[in-house]
This record gives sequence, C-alpha cells and structure tokens, in this order.
Amino acid sequence: MLEMRDIRKAYATPQGPLSVLEGVDLSLAAGASLALMGESGSGKSTLLHLAAGLDTPDSGEISLDGQRLSAASEPARAGLRRTRLGLVFQQFHLVPSLSVADNLTLQARLAGRETPDWSGELLTRLGLAEMADRYPEQLSGGQQQRLAIGRALAGRPALLLADEPTGNLDEASAETVLTLLLELVRDSGCALLMVTHSTRVASRLERRLTLSHGRLLAEEAR
Amino acid sequence: MITGRRSPRLVSRMAPHLVPHLAMARTALITLLSHYRRHPGQLAMLLVGLWVASALWSGVQAINASARDSYARAEALLSPRLERLERRDGAPLGYADFTTLRRAGLPVSPLIEGTIELNDGQRLNVLGIEPLSLPAGGIGEDRRTGNGGEDGANPLGLLQPPGQTRLAPETLATLNFSPGERPITAGGERLPPLVIDAQLPPGTLLVDIARAAELLKRGPRIDTLLLAPGTPAALPAAYRRTPAAQGLSPGQLTESFHLNLTAMGLLALVVGLLIVHAALGLALEQRLGLLRTLRALGVPGRTLVALLAVELVLLGLAGTLPGILAGLWLANILLPDVAASLEALFSASVGASLSLPWHFWAGSLAITLGGLATAGLGMLWRTARLDILALGHALSSHADSRRRQRRQAGLATLAWVFALGLWAWPAPSGTPSLIAGFAMVALALAGSALALPVLLGAALEGLKRCLGGNSPRTALIRWALADLQLQLPRLQLAMMALLLALATNLGVTGMVGGFRLTFLDWLDQRLVADLYLRPPPAAYDSWRDWLETRPEIATLLERRETDTRLIGAEGERPVALQGISADPALTASWPLLATLNADRAAAWQSLREGAALINEQLAIATGLAPGDMLTLASPSGPFTAQVAGIYPDYGNPRGEVTLTVERLIQRFAAKPGSMGLVLTPGLAAADEAALRQRLTRPLPASGEALAPSLVDQRSVHRQARQVFERTFAVTRALTGLTLGVAALALFTGLLAQARERRARLAPLWALGLGRTTLLGVTLAQLGGLALATALLALPLGVALNWALVAEINVAAFGWRLPLHVFPAAWVQALGLAVLVALLAAALPAWRLWRAPPRQLLEEFSAS
Ligand SMILES: Nc1ncnc2c1ncn2[C@@H]1O[C@H](COP(=O)(O)OP(=O)(O)OP(=O)(O)O)[C@@H](O)[C@H]1O
Ligand SMILES: [Mg+2]
Repeated sequence: MLEMRDIRKAYATPQGPLSVLEGVDLSLAAGASLALMGESGSGKSTLLHLAAGLDTPDSGEISLDGQRLSAASEPARAGLRRTRLGLVFQQFHLVPSLSVADNLTLQARLAGRETPDWSGELLTRLGLAEMADRYPEQLSGGQQQRLAIGRALAGRPALLLADEPTGNLDEASAETVLTLLLELVRDSGCALLMVTHSTRVASRLERRLTLSHGRLLAEEAR
Repeated sequence: MITGRRSPRLVSRMAPHLVPHLAMARTALITLLSHYRRHPGQLAMLLVGLWVASALWSGVQAINASARDSYARAEALLSPRLERLERRDGAPLGYADFTTLRRAGLPVSPLIEGTIELNDGQRLNVLGIEPLSLPAGGIGEDRRTGNGGEDGANPLGLLQPPGQTRLAPETLATLNFSPGERPITAGGERLPPLVIDAQLPPGTLLVDIARAAELLKRGPRIDTLLLAPGTPAALPAAYRRTPAAQGLSPGQLTESFHLNLTAMGLLALVVGLLIVHAALGLALEQRLGLLRTLRALGVPGRTLVALLAVELVLLGLAGTLPGILAGLWLANILLPDVAASLEALFSASVGASLSLPWHFWAGSLAITLGGLATAGLGMLWRTARLDILALGHALSSHADSRRRQRRQAGLATLAWVFALGLWAWPAPSGTPSLIAGFAMVALALAGSALALPVLLGAALEGLKRCLGGNSPRTALIRWALADLQLQLPRLQLAMMALLLALATNLGVTGMVGGFRLTFLDWLDQRLVADLYLRPPPAAYDSWRDWLETRPEIATLLERRETDTRLIGAEGERPVALQGISADPALTASWPLLATLNADRAAAWQSLREGAALINEQLAIATGLAPGDMLTLASPSGPFTAQVAGIYPDYGNPRGEVTLTVERLIQRFAAKPGSMGLVLTPGLAAADEAALRQRLTRPLPASGEALAPSLVDQRSVHRQARQVFERTFAVTRALTGLTLGVAALALFTGLLAQARERRARLAPLWALGLGRTTLLGVTLAQLGGLALATALLALPLGVALNWALVAEINVAAFGWRLPLHVFPAAWVQALGLAVLVALLAAALPAWRLWRAPPRQLLEEFSAS
C-alpha cells in the first residue's frame, strides 16, 4: 500500500539546513493501521505530508499503490491524493461557504466517485444527519472534526492519513470521534496512518512506530 | 449547492479520460464561487466596480464613435478628390463662370452651401448640387449610378418636380418628420419632399441647386465650382484651383475635444478597476485557506489557477455587459449636449442619436476585460505560487506590508519625478503637446495615489506617538488609531479612488469656474454694442448711410470677415480675417493679452495706421509676437503688416488676424458683414422700441425687398452662455460620476469587510464598551481618514487645475486661462469627502449597532 525507503528531508532555515528526517523506512499493508508517535518537532507531520505527496523528500523513494510518488508530476500527485487518499488534520479545514452535506461529499465529487448511499450512511453514523443543511461555523468542535473525517472517507480512499485528529478536542469527544473513526476505517477496509501523542490512542491501532532524531525506533510489538 | 454529477454524454464519448477532470473542475469551481454566497458584499463590489468602469468608459467611447461616424460622413460628403475652383480676382463665382468653363471643355459642376431655418427654429445646412454635371463619385457612392433602389437615390429624383430633400436618418428623426413630408422654412417656403439618404452627415439637407438658390436667396451667385479628378492642370487664366488646405476637417479640429473626453473616460475606468482590484484581493485573501484545502484534497495547482481565471471571465461578463448597456444609456443622455457644443465650438455637425460601429462593442468589451485581467493577474500569480503546506496561515506579515509600503513610496517618487520632468522639459517642437500634458497629469495622479497610503500610515503613526496620558479616553483613541492602521491596507484602494476623484473634481471645477469668469468678462468686453444688425448684402451700404443719420445711434461698429492665408517661412496656413471699426467705443474695453511695450493705446493707434492684431491661438501656433511682421495673401498680392498685439479669443478653433474694416474692404474685397449699434445714452424706451421695429423691416431706399436680421446683445450673451454651459455639462457630469464611483468604492470596501470588523470590535464590546461608543469610534475613524485624504486632494486639485488651464487647454484649444482658485469649492470638497465616508460607513455601522449581543459573542469566540 504505502512504501517509504530511506527518506531524507531537511528544511532551509536562516540558521542553515535543519535535517528532520534522516533515512526513514516505513511500509504499510492495505487495510492495516499504524500509529506514528514521537516528541513535538520530531518530524511526524513532515513524514505525513511526504506520504500525502503534499511535499517531496530530498532523497528516497515513496510509492503508493505501486505508483512512485517521488517521480510523479504535481498534477499526478494531486490525482492520487484525490482518488486514493483521505486526509484529516488537527485543524479541520472545512469549507465555510459549503453546507455540512456539501463539505462531506466535496472530495468524493472532486474525484468523481460519489456514492449517495455511502454519503448518507456516513452522515448518519457521524451523527450529522440532522445538521446536513447547516454551515461549519454552526457546529461544535467535535462535530466539525467528525465532518472532516466523513469528508476524508466519503470517496472510499485506500489510505487515510490523520495528523492528530483528536488533538483539538476534549477527552470525552476525542474518545467518541476516535471510536467512530476506527469503526468506519475498519468497515470501509482502508489502511490508516495516524499521528498521535497519546499511547492510549496508539494502543487501539495494529502497529505503533516512534520517530526520534530523524529515524524510526524499532517497532514495539503489541 | 452542489448538484449530482451529470457528465455531458457527448464529451464522455469523445474523451472518456476527460470526464473525471470535468467533474473535478466543476465541483471545484462551484466550491470557489460559493465564497461569494457567504460574502455577497464582495460580489457586489466586484460587479459594481466592473459595471461602473465599463459604463463610463463605453459611454465616452460611444460618444466618440458616434461623433467620428458623423465626421467621416461629413468628410465623405464631398469626395476629397474633388478640386474646387475660384476666380483669380477674388470676385464671387456666378453661372456665367460655369458656362465659360463648360464651354472650355472642363468637367465642372456648381455647388452652393448655406444655412436655413425651419419654422420651428431648427437650423440646417443646405447643400445645392447640380446632379447632371456632378462628377462621378462626387458625393457618396451610388448617387450617380441611380441604383439607390427604394431610397430613391436616382439623380433625376432631385430634378423632377416636386424634387427631393435628401437627409440622413438621424436628421429626419430630430426633425420629427416622416419621409415624403415637406417641412416649412422660417420664410414660409415648403421644402421638396424628404427622402432618406444614409450616406449624408447629420444636419445636412441635399437639394437641387435651383431649389437651394431659392431657399438661400442666393440669386445668380454660386459658392464654388467642383472640378472632376484627373482634369489636366491647365485652366483658363482667370481661374485657379482653391488651395486644398482651406480649412481643417472637423475630424482634425475636434480631435482634442475627444481626447479630453477619452481622458475622462480613462480616469473613470481606472477608478472602477481600483474597486475591482480591491475586491479581488479581498476575495483571494479570504479564500487562501480554501485554496490550500482544495489542493490538499487533490485539485492540481494549475487547475485552480485556470478555475480562478474562469471565475474572472464569468464575473467580467456579468459586470461588463450590463455596464456597456448602461454606458449606451449614459451616452444617449449626454450626446445632445456634446453635439451642441461640437456644433458651437467647431461647427461640426454630430447626430444627436448614437450610431455605433461593430468595433465599438468589441473594443469596449476588450478594454474592460483587459483591465479586469490586469487587476486579476496578481491574484492568479499569488495562487500559482501558493505554498500548499502553509494551510490556513494568515497571509501578509508585518515585514511584507513594510516592504510593500517602501516599494509604493519608491514608485510614487518615480512617477512624480517623471511628471516634473515632463513639465520642466517641454516638447522640442515648442508648441505644447496634448499627449505630453495628459501623461504629466496621469503621472502626477498616479504618484499621489501611490503615496497616499504611505502618508496616511505615517500620519497615524505620528498621531499615536503624540498621544500622551493614560485616561480611558486616550486609551480608546490609541486603540482606534492602531485599528485604523490595521484597516488601512484594506481601505487604501478605496482611499486612492477617493483622492483621484476629489482631485479631478476640484481641478475640473476650478478650470470650468475660472473659464466661466474669464469667458463672461471677455464677452462683456467684446460685446459693447446694444444691437447687432446684419443687412442683406446688397442693401448694406444704404443701411449704413441711413443709420449714420439716426440720432438714436451713438456709434456704428462695422465688422466684416473673410478667409485668407498667412504666408510664413515654412509655408502657408489658412487663417480667418476680420475687420473691425477701431472706434474708442470698442477699443476701450477690448481685451489685449500682449502689446508692444505694454502700451494699449499705441497698439490701437497702430491698428488704425495699418498694423494687425492676432488672436492667442495664432500666436501660440506660429510664435508671432508683438512687433513681428506678418504677411497675408490678398487678391492684389501679399499684404504685410506689423503685429501690434495679441487678443484672447475663447471658443474659436481657428487662428485669426484682425485689421480695420477699411483695409478688409480695400485689400481683401471682403463681403459686407454686420454692424454693431451703440445706442445714444439715455435713449427713451419708446424710441428704442420704435428703432428696433424699424430695423426688422426692409429699407425702401435700398430697393432691396429683404429685411435685415437683428439680434440684441442680451440674446447673444445668452446664447454664448448656453453654449458654454453645454460644453462643460459633459465634463461636469463625468467628474460627478467619478466621485460617485469613489463613494461606491468606499462603501463596497467597507461592506466587504464588515464581518471582520465586527469580529474585531466584539472583544471591545466584551470588555465593556457600549455599542454607541463603538459606533462613534467607527464613524470617527472613517470620517477622519476621508478628511485626511481630502486635505491631500486639495493641493493635488490645484495642481491639476493649473495643468488644465496652462498646459492642456493651450495644447487642446490654443488658449491659456488665468488660474482661479475657489476656496468655497475646497470647503465643499472636504465636506463631501467626509459625507461620502460617513454615508459609506453608515450601513455597516448601523448593522453593528443593531447586532444582538449573542451575535457579537459568537463573532468574539470565532475570532
Ligand atoms: N516549513 C518549514 N520550514 C522550516 N522548518 C520547518 C518547517 N516545517 C517544519 N519545520 C521544522 O521541522 C521540524 C519537524 O516539524 P514537524 O511539524 O514535522 O514536527 P511534528 O513532529 O509534527 O511536531 P508536533 O508534534 O508539534 O506537531 C520542527 O523542528 C519544525 O520546526
Ligand atoms: Mg505535527
């Protein structure tokens, strides 16, 4: 599903290049789930952005579904993102001028793979069916994050990339949202790569990796 | 909002791989456009900006295009390839000359021209032709081929009783007659039946020469003989070809008038596009997060750029097409005034209804869409370079805006340096160039507009520094100043629009006001007689002899005019020549701009002794100064005279030389003209009435049955004043509209950011400030900003006024005006600016004031 080989990435800063990733290898099978942990600033988001094709590594190979991301053009990477990936961020990045229902189906429509039954089911299971005609600003934080998850899943992606999806929520709603997310991921059969700080959250996923000083520490068996 | 995907079947069959892309593009476009549903103020601002820009620009262009169409027809009326003949001895031509030349085998055709008045007071040009001898292609195209079809352009139609009166469709429309009808002249005669001829210029009637001679009471005289092209050079000794450059064509004369109009239209276009630019910037800024989200969801960057370009085109069409229609409506309203002033200023006939060539539409659309593209280019550029990973970041940092301010200040300085350069180093040709004048004004305006935000920013910073003390009041004021600094980048374009509009308004009002004062003075000085009498030429001498014996009349001021050529080192130029009675009654008040040794009395004395006066236009065009010698062509050979002085001659497009009326008779065989009658002081009203009565009837002693025409000074005055007002009606309408546009810019700018404003004011409300206080602060902020802008507009307006009277007028019309300033207008402008700002702020402020506390709270927590 997702293969990363010897990924290196440095950022240019006024103080000279800042090396963030120094040879990261990672692979994720279809339908599998993986928690990515590490201290703040260890490069978790950077790795996720590379996996999503939002950024390119300085060296190394990334392939998604057997397609080499690092060799693909920007439109081709955008196409892969559109049709194969679902993205959930800490900030929800909803479209304020679209209704809840239209936000939910946005990516699926962009990819040309909207299925009304699945969208309707998502709305119901995310508890958003009653507020389908509202606008994002009229939702609570937990509701907004559920909507963002629904948007990522509505197009039936092969891989869901989530960057601290519950980081902005209180404990109770974080728990609900996470449970929903894992349930939906399992039912739709897509793979999951999730960045999290919480060991409790990580423990609910199949695998767990920790990023430290630019490298992945040896995998802890569950 | 997003409806189900329905891909067009045709497309799917032709290019299956395109379909998902179309679906993506469609969804992304709808998502982008959904922004305007949440921010209708921005959409309104964009559309209004485009609408106004295209309306004013295309309105002006419609006027210009219509006028040019009229000139083109006037110039094509008599083919420029036709030569004209005159007698070498300067005597008028008659039918005998026609017969002589025909018998000599020359292909000539007689022509008479004149003006008639209809019984409803409308005046029209009459052209009498001799259809059988008129050279082929002489008038229009088909007139001699006889295949004019239903419009009856058969040449014999003019001849066969009852004859025809051919006229342009526009003329027919203004006369309010139908084809076939026979209007009646002021003299009670019936014109031949009306027939439409689309090739004729507006305001001209074409009739058979015999009918024209009757209508114009011409007797056996003809005005000119036309000579078919390609006639051998040799002519009988008594005749010669009239020099071609007898007069400038109306197109050339009026060029400067139209350039003025175009400049005004351009200003409105720029002001409108400033609004558009501001709205686009705002719409982009608020959609940066959306753009990044779309990128993250898999829309390629270049697709987004293309979609924003599509959005621009859609908005452009939605704003521009109604704008062009509004422009036509505006042009329709203004055209009668324009036509009247062109007629009065340049004797150029322009139809009072629009007639537009196809390229007008294409051109108007192209200019506004091009302007939109320029305004939108920055938006597309920023989108293309969008950093996808800065998801949801705020855009311009403090350093960014500093850098932008420095760049703006640099550009402003550069523009001013170039403007001053254009002023300090005038054109090498010596005569001021209109284009250079406009370039100077444009650079100065652009430089000032660019400098405005920098100056306002510095003023706010300075005020903040000066503010001492720690009372609650100063805290609030300090907050208001800081908040204004934050708002400035968003309001700067609207403030620039306000500055440009105010300065133009002040400059143009000053110019028109100054011109009015000067012009009316000048009229008073020139119109010293109480009555002006134009006797029939044949009875002129009898009338003069009779009038000289009348006790009611103190002084008789004769005036004659003719055309001649000024012979200079570089060739000949046509000039008008007038002869006046150099009587103290006239010369005491007649204004002179320059004389030898600044001695007025001596100048008049030299005129009496044979010297000449020239008008300002001629002096500027030729460089002639008092003391120089000038040479005129006269029937008896070159006539040389010294220039004794230069006089102002407003409203006259031509160069003019003035001599005494005696010289005009002796040396130039000038035809009888008019006489001004200065009445004896203290004349009883009854005697004056009796005299007027007497002057409207023929003089039996002269044997001439025709009555003279009589106008009194007051009606000349009134007419001149009317012409003046109509000439500047258009200018005033356009500057007024531009100010309106600036107000709109401010209003829409405020409306577009009303939501953010509320979010910024909500914390203050939460901190315990009353809504009335907040309302007051908001209004004070904007009123103050507008006042500061208006204060900067004052010197700019005076500079513009100066440039108009001292540079542009000289280049365009050939006369310089004294600079008048009107402090009352300044006060008015200051008040207007504040009023405009308060009006623009009123609606957003009112909504803030009315906003329920709950809403403020929501906006507070959202901010
Ligand atoms: N655009 C950038 N330019 C320069 N440095 C960057 C940039 N983005 C990230 N960094 C730096 O790279 C390092 C890794 O950043 P990253 O966002 O991947 O960390 P993270 O593990 O996601 O941290 P957190 O848990 O706080 O979200 C940090 O030190 C950060 O300062
Ligand atoms: Mg992170």
